[in-house]
Amino acid sequence: MTLSGREAYRDELTLLAREDPSIICLEADLGGARHPFEEAHPDRFFNLGIAEGAMIDMAAGLAAAGYRPFVSTFAPFATLRAAESLKLTLGYIGAGVTVVAPYAGVSGAWFGTTHHGLEDIAVARSVPGVTVAAPHGEQEMRAVVREAAASGRPHYVRTGRNAVHESLSPAATAEPLVWDRHAGPGDVCLVSVGEEGTRLCTEATAVRDGLAHAHLCYLDHENLSSITGLLGERYSRFVVVEEHRAEGGIAEALALLMPRNEVHGVNAGRAWPTEGGDHHEVMASLGLHLPAVLDTVDRLTGPAPVSVRRPDATLTNA
Amino acid sequence: MTTTGTETPLDLLVERATRTRRLVVDMAAGPRGCHLGGSLSVTDLLVAALDRAGRDEGTEVVLSKGHAAAGLYAALHTSGVLAENPAPHYGLAGHPYTGHPSAHVPGVSFPTGSLGHGVPYAAGWALSRKLSGKPGGAIAIVGDGELQEGLVWETCQVAAAQGLGNLVLLVDANGGQNDGPVSRISPLEHLSERFAAFGLRTAETEGHDMAALTSLLDRGPDPSGRPLAVVASTVKGKGVPAVEGKAGSHYVRIDAARAARWKRRIT
Repeated sequence: MTLSGREAYRDELTLLAREDPSIICLEADLGGARHPFEEAHPDRFFNLGIAEGAMIDMAAGLAAAGYRPFVSTFAPFATLRAAESLKLTLGYIGAGVTVVAPYAGVSGAWFGTTHHGLEDIAVARSVPGVTVAAPHGEQEMRAVVREAAASGRPHYVRTGRNAVHESLSPAATAEPLVWDRHAGPGDVCLVSVGEEGTRLCTEATAVRDGLAHAHLCYLDHENLSSITGLLGERYSRFVVVEEHRAEGGIAEALALLMPRNEVHGVNAGRAWPTEGGDHHEVMASLGLHLPAVLDTVDRLTGPAPVSVRRPDATLTNA
Repeated sequence: MTTTGTETPLDLLVERATRTRRLVVDMAAGPRGCHLGGSLSVTDLLVAALDRAGRDEGTEVVLSKGHAAAGLYAALHTSGVLAENPAPHYGLAGHPYTGHPSAHVPGVSFPTGSLGHGVPYAAGWALSRKLSGKPGGAIAIVGDGELQEGLVWETCQVAAAQGLGNLVLLVDANGGQNDGPVSRISPLEHLSERFAAFGLRTAETEGHDMAALTSLLDRGPDPSGRPLAVVASTVKGKGVPAVEGKAGSHYVRIDAARAARWKRRIT
Protein backbone atom coordinates (compact mmCIF):
# COMPACT_ATOMS: atom_id res chain seq x y z
CA MET A 1 0.00 0.00 0.00
CA THR A 2 1.35 3.38 -0.99
CA LEU A 3 1.71 5.85 1.84
CA SER A 4 0.88 9.54 1.89
CA GLY A 5 3.73 12.01 2.16
CA ARG A 6 3.45 12.51 5.89
CA GLU A 7 2.98 8.81 6.57
CA ALA A 8 6.04 8.09 4.46
CA TYR A 9 8.01 10.69 6.42
CA ARG A 10 7.09 9.15 9.74
CA ASP A 11 7.80 5.63 8.57
CA GLU A 12 11.13 6.43 6.95
CA LEU A 13 12.33 8.44 9.94
CA THR A 14 11.36 5.60 12.25
CA LEU A 15 13.42 3.21 10.12
CA LEU A 16 16.42 5.53 9.97
CA ALA A 17 16.39 6.02 13.72
CA ARG A 18 17.03 2.30 14.22
CA GLU A 19 20.53 2.81 12.87
CA ASP A 20 21.12 6.42 13.86
CA PRO A 21 20.75 7.18 17.56
CA SER A 22 21.19 10.90 16.92
CA ILE A 23 17.80 11.18 15.21
CA ILE A 24 15.10 12.79 17.35
CA CYS A 25 11.48 13.35 16.45
CA LEU A 26 9.68 16.45 17.77
CA GLU A 27 6.01 17.20 17.33
CA ALA A 28 3.82 20.11 18.39
CA ASP A 29 0.69 18.13 19.13
CA LEU A 30 -0.10 17.34 15.50
CA GLY A 31 1.63 14.00 15.24
CA GLY A 32 -1.40 11.91 15.99
CA ALA A 33 -2.11 9.56 18.85
CA ARG A 34 -0.13 6.59 17.53
CA HIS A 35 2.97 8.05 15.95
CA PRO A 36 5.16 5.19 14.66
CA PHE A 37 8.33 6.91 15.82
CA GLU A 38 6.97 7.19 19.35
CA GLU A 39 6.03 3.53 19.35
CA ALA A 40 9.46 2.44 18.10
CA HIS A 41 11.69 4.96 19.87
CA PRO A 42 9.74 6.44 22.79
CA ASP A 43 12.86 7.83 24.43
CA ARG A 44 13.60 9.98 21.38
CA PHE A 45 10.09 11.20 20.66
CA PHE A 46 8.87 14.43 22.18
CA ASN A 47 5.44 15.93 21.80
CA LEU A 48 6.27 19.41 23.08
CA GLY A 49 2.69 20.55 22.96
CA ILE A 50 1.25 23.42 20.97
CA ALA A 51 4.47 25.43 20.93
CA GLU A 52 5.82 25.69 17.40
CA GLY A 53 8.34 28.46 17.98
CA ALA A 54 9.74 26.84 21.11
CA MET A 55 9.94 23.52 19.27
CA ILE A 56 12.09 24.84 16.43
CA ASP A 57 14.31 26.83 18.81
CA MET A 58 14.74 23.84 21.10
CA ALA A 59 15.76 21.83 18.07
CA ALA A 60 18.64 24.30 17.68
CA GLY A 61 19.77 23.44 21.19
CA LEU A 62 19.51 19.73 20.48
CA ALA A 63 21.39 20.08 17.19
CA ALA A 64 24.17 22.00 18.95
CA ALA A 65 24.65 18.91 21.11
CA GLY A 66 25.00 16.68 18.05
CA TYR A 67 21.47 15.40 17.64
CA ARG A 68 19.55 15.36 14.34
CA PRO A 69 16.14 16.77 15.20
CA PHE A 70 13.23 16.32 12.81
CA VAL A 71 10.36 18.57 13.79
CA SER A 72 6.91 18.59 12.30
CA THR A 73 3.93 20.85 12.36
CA PHE A 74 1.53 22.11 9.73
CA ALA A 75 3.02 24.28 6.97
CA PRO A 76 1.28 27.54 7.97
CA PHE A 77 2.43 27.20 11.57
CA ALA A 78 5.98 26.19 10.67
CA THR A 79 6.60 28.99 8.21
CA LEU A 80 4.44 31.84 9.49
CA ARG A 81 3.82 31.45 13.22
CA ALA A 82 7.37 30.20 13.76
CA ALA A 83 8.92 32.20 10.92
CA GLU A 84 11.54 33.89 13.06
CA SER A 85 12.59 30.62 14.63
CA LEU A 86 12.87 29.15 11.15
CA LYS A 87 15.05 32.06 10.05
CA LEU A 88 17.33 31.92 13.07
CA THR A 89 17.57 28.16 13.66
CA LEU A 90 17.70 26.87 10.10
CA GLY A 91 19.18 29.94 8.46
CA TYR A 92 21.40 32.01 10.70
CA ILE A 93 22.56 29.21 12.99
CA GLY A 94 22.45 26.71 10.14
CA ALA A 95 21.44 24.00 12.59
CA GLY A 96 20.96 20.51 11.19
CA VAL A 97 17.24 20.63 11.80
CA THR A 98 14.63 19.30 9.37
CA VAL A 99 11.16 20.82 9.45
CA VAL A 100 8.54 18.57 7.86
CA ALA A 101 5.36 20.46 7.10
CA PRO A 102 2.14 18.67 6.15
CA TYR A 103 -0.99 20.60 5.20
CA ALA A 104 0.92 22.58 2.59
CA GLY A 105 -1.12 24.42 0.01
CA VAL A 106 -4.83 24.03 0.61
CA SER A 107 -4.62 20.36 1.50
CA GLY A 108 -6.30 21.37 4.76
CA ALA A 109 -9.31 21.98 2.49
CA TRP A 110 -12.51 22.58 4.48
CA PHE A 111 -10.49 23.29 7.63
CA GLY A 112 -10.18 26.78 6.25
CA THR A 113 -7.59 29.45 5.63
CA THR A 114 -5.95 29.25 9.06
CA HIS A 115 -4.89 25.74 8.10
CA HIS A 116 -3.76 26.53 4.57
CA GLY A 117 -0.14 27.06 3.59
CA LEU A 118 0.06 28.91 0.30
CA GLU A 119 2.97 31.10 1.35
CA ASP A 120 5.37 28.53 2.80
CA ILE A 121 7.68 28.12 -0.20
CA ALA A 122 8.17 31.88 -0.36
CA VAL A 123 9.10 32.03 3.32
CA ALA A 124 11.35 28.97 3.33
CA ARG A 125 13.12 29.92 0.09
CA SER A 126 13.88 33.38 1.42
CA VAL A 127 16.02 31.97 4.22
CA PRO A 128 19.53 31.35 2.87
CA GLY A 129 21.06 27.96 3.51
CA VAL A 130 17.82 26.04 3.84
CA THR A 131 17.24 23.12 1.49
CA VAL A 132 13.59 23.32 0.44
CA ALA A 133 11.88 20.18 -0.83
CA ALA A 134 8.39 19.35 -2.04
CA PRO A 135 8.49 15.62 -2.73
CA HIS A 136 5.78 13.91 -4.71
CA GLY A 137 4.70 10.52 -3.50
CA GLU A 138 5.99 8.00 -1.03
CA GLN A 139 9.30 7.06 -2.61
CA GLU A 140 10.42 10.60 -3.19
CA MET A 141 9.50 11.60 0.36
CA ARG A 142 11.48 8.67 1.71
CA ALA A 143 14.49 9.69 -0.38
CA VAL A 144 14.25 13.31 0.83
CA VAL A 145 14.10 12.21 4.46
CA ARG A 146 17.12 9.95 3.97
CA GLU A 147 19.04 12.75 2.32
CA ALA A 148 18.15 15.20 5.08
CA ALA A 149 19.25 12.77 7.78
CA ALA A 150 22.50 11.96 6.02
CA SER A 151 23.42 15.53 5.16
CA GLY A 152 22.87 17.15 8.53
CA ARG A 153 21.91 20.35 6.72
CA PRO A 154 18.78 22.36 7.52
CA HIS A 155 15.78 21.27 5.49
CA TYR A 156 12.21 22.44 5.00
CA VAL A 157 10.03 19.69 3.53
CA ARG A 158 6.46 20.43 2.49
CA THR A 159 3.84 17.81 1.96
CA GLY A 160 0.08 17.46 1.88
CA ARG A 161 -2.46 15.97 4.21
CA ASN A 162 -3.50 12.39 3.50
CA ALA A 163 -3.46 12.21 -0.31
CA VAL A 164 -1.55 9.28 -1.78
CA HIS A 165 0.61 9.69 -4.89
CA GLU A 166 2.91 7.37 -6.80
CA SER A 167 6.31 8.96 -7.19
CA LEU A 168 7.50 9.55 -10.74
CA SER A 169 10.84 8.00 -10.00
CA PRO A 170 11.57 5.12 -7.63
CA ALA A 171 15.17 6.36 -7.34
CA ALA A 172 16.89 5.69 -4.05
CA THR A 173 18.09 9.27 -3.96
CA ALA A 174 15.99 12.36 -4.42
CA GLU A 175 16.98 14.37 -7.48
CA PRO A 176 16.36 18.07 -7.98
CA LEU A 177 14.89 17.37 -11.43
CA VAL A 178 12.98 14.34 -12.68
CA TRP A 179 12.03 14.21 -16.35
CA ASP A 180 8.61 12.60 -16.58
CA ARG A 181 8.11 13.17 -20.29
CA HIS A 182 9.99 14.72 -23.18
CA ALA A 183 8.59 16.41 -26.28
CA GLY A 184 9.93 18.25 -29.28
CA PRO A 185 12.31 21.16 -28.88
CA GLY A 186 9.65 23.74 -29.75
CA ASP A 187 7.05 22.30 -27.44
CA VAL A 188 5.93 23.57 -24.08
CA CYS A 189 7.46 22.06 -20.97
CA LEU A 190 5.30 21.74 -17.89
CA VAL A 191 7.23 22.17 -14.66
CA SER A 192 5.57 20.62 -11.63
CA VAL A 193 6.04 21.55 -8.01
CA GLY A 194 4.72 19.52 -5.10
CA GLU A 195 2.14 16.79 -4.93
CA GLU A 196 -0.79 18.53 -6.59
CA GLY A 197 1.27 20.41 -9.14
CA THR A 198 2.74 17.11 -10.22
CA ARG A 199 -0.64 15.43 -10.34
CA LEU A 200 -2.02 18.16 -12.56
CA CYS A 201 0.94 17.95 -14.91
CA THR A 202 0.71 14.18 -15.29
CA GLU A 203 -3.01 14.56 -16.01
CA ALA A 204 -2.25 17.22 -18.60
CA THR A 205 0.34 15.11 -20.40
CA ALA A 206 -2.11 12.21 -20.38
CA VAL A 207 -4.61 14.16 -22.47
CA ARG A 208 -2.26 16.21 -24.62
CA ASP A 209 0.50 15.20 -26.93
CA GLY A 210 3.44 17.48 -27.41
CA LEU A 211 3.90 18.41 -23.80
CA ALA A 212 7.09 17.82 -21.86
CA HIS A 213 6.99 17.48 -18.10
CA ALA A 214 9.80 18.17 -15.65
CA HIS A 215 9.16 17.57 -11.95
CA LEU A 216 11.14 19.59 -9.42
CA CYS A 217 11.70 18.11 -5.98
CA TYR A 218 14.16 20.60 -4.51
CA LEU A 219 13.14 24.23 -4.69
CA ASP A 220 15.75 26.32 -2.89
CA HIS A 221 17.86 28.78 -4.82
CA GLU A 222 20.93 26.55 -5.04
CA ASN A 223 19.00 23.58 -6.38
CA LEU A 224 16.93 25.61 -8.83
CA SER A 225 20.08 27.27 -10.11
CA SER A 226 21.58 23.84 -10.72
CA ILE A 227 18.79 22.67 -13.03
CA THR A 228 17.95 25.73 -15.09
CA GLY A 229 20.64 24.78 -17.60
CA LEU A 230 19.08 21.34 -18.04
CA LEU A 231 15.67 22.87 -18.61
CA GLY A 232 16.88 25.61 -20.92
CA GLU A 233 18.97 23.40 -23.17
CA ARG A 234 15.87 21.39 -24.16
CA TYR A 235 12.97 23.83 -24.05
CA SER A 236 12.31 27.55 -24.17
CA ARG A 237 8.70 27.84 -22.96
CA PHE A 238 7.67 26.66 -19.51
CA VAL A 239 4.44 26.47 -17.55
CA VAL A 240 5.06 26.05 -13.83
CA VAL A 241 2.21 24.42 -11.93
CA GLU A 242 2.31 24.90 -8.17
CA GLU A 243 -0.10 24.92 -5.26
CA HIS A 244 1.22 28.18 -3.91
CA ARG A 245 0.80 31.91 -4.33
CA ALA A 246 2.28 33.36 -7.49
CA GLU A 247 4.28 35.75 -5.35
CA GLY A 248 7.36 34.02 -4.04
CA GLY A 249 6.57 30.87 -5.96
CA ILE A 250 8.71 28.80 -8.27
CA ALA A 251 7.48 30.34 -11.53
CA GLU A 252 8.65 33.69 -10.30
CA ALA A 253 11.99 32.22 -9.26
CA LEU A 254 12.55 30.45 -12.57
CA ALA A 255 11.64 33.58 -14.51
CA LEU A 256 14.40 35.39 -12.67
CA LEU A 257 16.88 32.56 -13.17
CA MET A 258 16.00 32.04 -16.86
CA PRO A 259 15.68 35.52 -18.35
CA ARG A 260 16.02 34.25 -21.92
CA ASN A 261 13.13 31.83 -21.55
CA GLU A 262 9.39 32.23 -21.36
CA VAL A 263 8.02 31.21 -17.95
CA HIS A 264 4.30 31.10 -17.18
CA GLY A 265 2.53 30.03 -14.05
CA VAL A 266 -0.58 28.20 -12.97
CA ASN A 267 -0.95 28.69 -9.24
CA ALA A 268 -3.31 29.51 -6.39
CA GLY A 269 -3.43 33.19 -7.24
CA ARG A 270 -4.16 35.87 -4.68
CA ALA A 271 -7.58 34.93 -3.36
CA TRP A 272 -8.54 33.51 0.04
CA PRO A 273 -10.74 30.43 -0.03
CA THR A 274 -14.09 31.30 1.51
CA GLU A 275 -15.93 28.00 1.30
CA GLY A 276 -15.52 24.42 2.39
CA GLY A 277 -15.01 21.51 0.07
CA ASP A 278 -12.48 18.78 -0.39
CA HIS A 279 -8.88 19.51 -1.36
CA HIS A 280 -9.49 19.62 -5.10
CA GLU A 281 -12.65 21.68 -4.74
CA VAL A 282 -10.82 24.30 -2.73
CA MET A 283 -8.01 24.27 -5.29
CA ALA A 284 -10.58 24.73 -8.04
CA SER A 285 -12.08 27.69 -6.19
CA LEU A 286 -8.68 29.32 -6.54
CA GLY A 287 -8.47 28.53 -10.24
CA LEU A 288 -6.00 25.74 -9.77
CA HIS A 289 -7.26 22.78 -11.78
CA LEU A 290 -6.59 20.86 -14.97
CA PRO A 291 -8.58 23.20 -17.26
CA ALA A 292 -6.42 26.08 -16.05
CA VAL A 293 -3.27 24.17 -16.95
CA LEU A 294 -4.62 23.26 -20.39
CA ASP A 295 -5.88 26.79 -21.04
CA THR A 296 -2.44 28.17 -20.26
CA VAL A 297 -0.89 25.68 -22.65
CA ASP A 298 -3.48 26.59 -25.29
CA ARG A 299 -2.58 30.25 -25.07
CA LEU A 300 0.99 29.32 -25.92
CA THR A 301 0.39 26.68 -28.57
CA GLY A 302 -3.03 27.42 -30.01
CA PRO A 303 -6.18 25.37 -29.36
CA ALA A 304 -5.91 21.63 -29.01
CA PRO A 305 -7.36 19.38 -31.72
CA VAL A 306 -11.06 18.71 -31.20
CA SER A 307 -10.44 14.99 -30.75
CA VAL A 308 -8.53 15.55 -27.56
CA ARG A 309 -10.67 14.98 -24.51
CA ARG A 310 -10.30 17.46 -21.69
CA PRO A 311 -11.55 15.88 -18.45
CA ASP A 312 -12.68 17.75 -15.42
CA ALA A 313 -10.29 17.91 -12.52
CA THR A 314 -10.60 14.67 -10.59
CA LEU A 315 -12.03 14.97 -7.13
CA THR A 316 -10.56 12.01 -5.34
CA ASN A 317 -8.79 13.45 -2.36
CA ALA A 318 -10.38 12.71 0.99
CA MET B 1 24.75 20.35 37.13
CA THR B 2 27.80 18.45 38.27
CA THR B 3 30.71 20.48 39.52
CA THR B 4 34.00 19.33 38.13
CA GLY B 5 36.26 22.19 39.21
CA THR B 6 37.03 23.80 42.50
CA GLU B 7 35.02 26.73 43.74
CA THR B 8 36.17 30.15 42.62
CA PRO B 9 36.94 32.49 45.53
CA LEU B 10 34.20 35.06 45.96
CA ASP B 11 36.55 38.02 45.94
CA LEU B 12 37.88 36.89 42.58
CA LEU B 13 34.37 36.85 41.12
CA VAL B 14 33.66 40.30 42.54
CA GLU B 15 36.88 41.60 41.05
CA ARG B 16 35.94 39.98 37.74
CA ALA B 17 32.62 41.83 37.82
CA THR B 18 34.39 45.11 38.45
CA ARG B 19 36.68 44.58 35.46
CA THR B 20 33.69 43.57 33.38
CA ARG B 21 31.88 46.82 34.20
CA ARG B 22 34.93 48.87 33.28
CA LEU B 23 35.09 47.15 29.91
CA VAL B 24 31.40 47.86 29.36
CA VAL B 25 32.04 51.56 30.01
CA ASP B 26 34.91 51.36 27.50
CA MET B 27 32.42 50.10 24.92
CA ALA B 28 30.02 52.92 25.75
CA ALA B 29 32.90 55.25 24.94
CA GLY B 30 33.50 53.59 21.58
CA PRO B 31 32.14 54.90 18.30
CA ARG B 32 28.89 52.92 18.60
CA GLY B 33 28.06 53.37 22.25
CA CYS B 34 26.26 50.39 23.80
CA HIS B 35 23.30 49.19 25.84
CA LEU B 36 24.97 50.37 29.01
CA GLY B 37 22.27 50.16 31.68
CA GLY B 38 21.28 46.57 30.99
CA SER B 39 24.87 45.44 30.51
CA LEU B 40 25.78 46.81 33.94
CA SER B 41 22.70 45.38 35.65
CA VAL B 42 23.36 41.89 34.29
CA THR B 43 27.11 41.86 34.94
CA ASP B 44 27.04 39.96 38.23
CA LEU B 45 24.61 37.41 36.82
CA LEU B 46 26.86 36.84 33.81
CA VAL B 47 30.00 36.49 35.88
CA ALA B 48 28.36 34.04 38.26
CA ALA B 49 26.77 32.02 35.45
CA LEU B 50 29.95 31.85 33.37
CA ASP B 51 31.89 30.77 36.43
CA ARG B 52 29.34 28.05 37.05
CA ALA B 53 29.56 26.89 33.43
CA GLY B 54 33.35 26.97 33.54
CA ARG B 55 33.34 24.59 36.47
CA ASP B 56 30.59 22.32 35.15
CA GLU B 57 30.77 19.77 32.44
CA GLY B 58 28.30 20.51 29.67
CA THR B 59 26.65 23.62 31.02
CA GLU B 60 25.74 26.32 28.52
CA VAL B 61 25.05 29.96 29.34
CA VAL B 62 22.68 31.75 26.95
CA LEU B 63 22.26 35.51 27.29
CA SER B 64 18.72 35.75 26.00
CA LYS B 65 18.57 39.52 26.56
CA GLY B 66 21.03 39.85 23.70
CA HIS B 67 21.04 43.64 23.72
CA ALA B 68 23.35 43.36 26.74
CA ALA B 69 25.98 42.05 24.33
CA ALA B 70 28.59 44.48 25.66
CA GLY B 71 28.17 42.93 29.09
CA LEU B 72 28.43 39.43 27.65
CA TYR B 73 31.58 40.14 25.63
CA ALA B 74 33.21 41.80 28.62
CA ALA B 75 32.26 38.97 30.97
CA LEU B 76 33.46 36.34 28.51
CA HIS B 77 36.79 38.15 28.40
CA THR B 78 37.21 38.55 32.15
CA SER B 79 36.10 34.94 32.64
CA GLY B 80 38.86 33.74 30.34
CA VAL B 81 36.59 32.35 27.63
CA LEU B 82 37.31 35.13 25.14
CA ALA B 83 41.02 35.81 24.84
CA GLU B 84 40.74 39.09 22.98
CA ASN B 85 39.63 42.27 24.73
CA PRO B 86 36.45 43.03 22.77
CA ALA B 87 36.10 46.64 23.92
CA PRO B 88 38.22 48.36 21.26
CA HIS B 89 36.43 46.43 18.52
CA TYR B 90 32.79 46.62 19.65
CA GLY B 91 30.45 47.24 16.74
CA LEU B 92 33.25 47.75 14.25
CA ALA B 93 33.72 46.26 10.79
CA GLY B 94 36.01 43.29 10.68
CA HIS B 95 35.11 42.14 14.19
CA PRO B 96 32.33 39.82 15.39
CA TYR B 97 31.22 41.96 18.32
CA THR B 98 27.88 43.06 16.97
CA GLY B 99 25.30 44.87 19.07
CA HIS B 100 23.51 41.58 19.60
CA PRO B 101 25.63 38.45 19.92
CA SER B 102 26.12 35.65 17.44
CA ALA B 103 27.95 32.34 17.42
CA HIS B 104 30.83 34.04 15.64
CA VAL B 105 32.04 35.16 19.08
CA PRO B 106 34.00 32.52 21.02
CA GLY B 107 31.89 31.30 23.89
CA VAL B 108 28.58 32.13 22.23
CA SER B 109 26.58 29.22 20.80
CA PHE B 110 23.31 30.89 19.85
CA PRO B 111 22.35 34.24 18.32
CA THR B 112 20.17 36.30 20.61
CA GLY B 113 18.69 39.75 20.62
CA SER B 114 15.31 39.01 19.16
CA LEU B 115 13.91 38.62 22.64
CA GLY B 116 12.63 35.32 23.92
CA HIS B 117 14.59 32.93 21.74
CA GLY B 118 17.44 32.34 24.18
CA VAL B 119 15.15 30.51 26.57
CA PRO B 120 14.17 27.72 24.15
CA TYR B 121 17.76 27.48 22.88
CA ALA B 122 18.80 26.85 26.47
CA ALA B 123 15.89 24.46 27.00
CA GLY B 124 16.92 22.48 23.92
CA TRP B 125 20.45 22.22 25.23
CA ALA B 126 19.18 21.13 28.65
CA LEU B 127 17.00 18.51 26.97
CA SER B 128 20.02 17.22 25.06
CA ARG B 129 21.94 16.69 28.30
CA LYS B 130 19.00 14.94 29.89
CA LEU B 131 18.48 12.78 26.82
CA SER B 132 22.09 11.73 26.63
CA GLY B 133 22.30 11.06 30.35
CA LYS B 134 25.23 13.43 30.62
CA PRO B 135 25.75 16.00 33.36
CA GLY B 136 25.22 19.67 32.77
CA GLY B 137 22.38 21.83 31.66
CA ALA B 138 21.71 25.41 30.70
CA ILE B 139 21.41 28.83 32.27
CA ALA B 140 19.30 31.31 30.32
CA ILE B 141 19.67 34.92 31.39
CA VAL B 142 16.57 36.94 30.55
CA GLY B 143 15.51 40.50 31.13
CA ASP B 144 12.34 41.32 33.00
CA GLY B 145 11.05 43.33 30.05
CA GLU B 146 11.81 40.30 27.89
CA LEU B 147 9.30 38.33 29.91
CA GLN B 148 6.60 40.15 27.96
CA GLU B 149 7.47 37.86 25.05
CA GLY B 150 5.13 34.89 24.76
CA LEU B 151 7.93 32.59 23.66
CA VAL B 152 9.43 32.71 27.16
CA TRP B 153 6.24 31.38 28.72
CA GLU B 154 5.66 28.93 25.90
CA THR B 155 9.07 27.50 26.73
CA CYS B 156 8.45 27.50 30.49
CA GLN B 157 5.40 25.39 29.79
CA VAL B 158 7.42 22.97 27.65
CA ALA B 159 10.41 22.87 30.01
CA ALA B 160 8.26 22.02 33.00
CA ALA B 161 6.37 19.39 31.01
CA GLN B 162 9.64 17.81 29.87
CA GLY B 163 11.05 17.78 33.39
CA LEU B 164 14.09 19.91 32.65
CA GLY B 165 15.42 20.13 36.16
CA ASN B 166 18.79 21.10 34.69
CA LEU B 167 17.48 24.39 33.26
CA VAL B 168 17.86 27.70 35.11
CA LEU B 169 16.18 30.96 34.13
CA LEU B 170 18.03 33.86 35.64
CA VAL B 171 15.93 37.02 35.47
CA ASP B 172 17.80 40.31 35.41
CA ALA B 173 14.96 42.27 37.01
CA ASN B 174 16.27 45.79 36.54
CA GLY B 175 12.78 47.21 36.07
CA GLY B 176 13.55 48.95 32.81
CA GLN B 177 12.94 48.37 29.16
CA ASN B 178 13.51 50.29 25.96
CA ASP B 179 10.70 52.83 26.30
CA GLY B 180 10.63 53.19 30.07
CA PRO B 181 9.83 51.35 33.29
CA VAL B 182 8.45 47.84 33.04
CA SER B 183 5.96 48.74 35.74
CA ARG B 184 4.42 51.41 33.55
CA ILE B 185 4.53 49.66 30.18
CA SER B 186 3.47 46.11 31.02
CA PRO B 187 3.89 45.25 34.70
CA LEU B 188 4.99 41.84 35.91
CA GLU B 189 3.20 41.54 39.21
CA HIS B 190 3.73 38.40 41.29
CA LEU B 191 6.52 37.27 39.02
CA SER B 192 7.77 34.39 41.15
CA GLU B 193 4.24 33.15 41.55
CA ARG B 194 3.85 33.18 37.78
CA PHE B 195 6.89 30.94 37.36
CA ALA B 196 5.66 28.71 40.17
CA ALA B 197 2.30 28.42 38.47
CA PHE B 198 4.10 27.11 35.38
CA GLY B 199 5.70 24.39 37.50
CA LEU B 200 9.11 25.93 38.07
CA ARG B 201 11.00 26.15 41.33
CA THR B 202 11.55 29.77 42.21
CA ALA B 203 13.99 31.86 44.17
CA GLU B 204 14.39 35.59 44.67
CA THR B 205 17.69 37.26 45.32
CA GLU B 206 19.54 40.53 45.25
CA GLY B 207 21.14 40.40 41.83
CA HIS B 208 24.38 42.09 42.81
CA ASP B 209 25.08 39.77 45.74
CA MET B 210 27.69 37.46 44.28
CA ALA B 211 27.58 35.08 47.23
CA ALA B 212 23.84 34.67 46.91
CA LEU B 213 24.04 34.17 43.16
CA THR B 214 26.75 31.54 43.31
CA SER B 215 24.91 29.76 46.09
CA LEU B 216 21.75 29.57 43.99
CA LEU B 217 23.59 28.40 40.92
CA ASP B 218 25.41 25.77 42.95
CA ARG B 219 22.11 24.02 43.49
CA GLY B 220 22.07 20.84 41.51
CA PRO B 221 19.33 19.82 39.14
CA ASP B 222 16.00 19.27 40.75
CA PRO B 223 15.47 15.51 41.21
CA SER B 224 11.79 15.99 40.47
CA GLY B 225 12.66 17.68 37.19
CA ARG B 226 11.45 21.20 37.81
CA PRO B 227 13.41 24.00 36.15
CA LEU B 228 14.57 26.83 38.41
CA ALA B 229 13.60 30.48 37.95
CA VAL B 230 15.68 32.99 39.86
CA VAL B 231 14.29 36.50 40.01
CA ALA B 232 17.33 38.65 40.65
CA SER B 233 16.59 42.24 41.61
CA THR B 234 19.14 44.44 39.91
CA VAL B 235 19.80 48.11 39.27
CA LYS B 236 20.03 49.43 35.76
CA GLY B 237 23.45 51.02 35.32
CA LYS B 238 24.76 49.32 38.48
CA GLY B 239 28.25 50.41 39.44
CA VAL B 240 28.25 53.79 37.73
CA PRO B 241 26.62 56.29 40.09
CA ALA B 242 25.97 58.77 37.29
CA VAL B 243 23.54 56.39 35.60
CA GLU B 244 22.43 53.99 38.32
CA GLY B 245 18.68 53.49 38.26
CA LYS B 246 18.17 55.90 35.39
CA ALA B 247 16.03 54.88 32.43
CA GLY B 248 18.23 57.01 30.20
CA SER B 249 21.09 54.58 30.73
CA HIS B 250 19.46 52.07 28.39
CA TYR B 251 21.68 53.05 25.47
CA VAL B 252 24.61 55.37 26.07
CA ARG B 253 27.49 56.82 24.13
CA ILE B 254 30.03 58.85 26.04
CA ASP B 255 33.40 60.45 25.40
CA ALA B 256 36.71 59.10 26.67
CA ALA B 257 37.09 61.62 29.48
CA ARG B 258 33.70 60.76 30.93
CA ALA B 259 34.46 57.08 30.59
CA ALA B 260 37.66 57.53 32.54
CA ARG B 261 35.78 59.30 35.33
CA TRP B 262 33.06 56.65 35.43
CA LYS B 263 35.56 53.79 35.49
CA ARG B 264 37.35 55.30 38.48
CA ARG B 265 34.07 55.21 40.41
CA ILE B 266 33.50 51.51 39.72
CA THR B 267 34.70 49.44 42.61
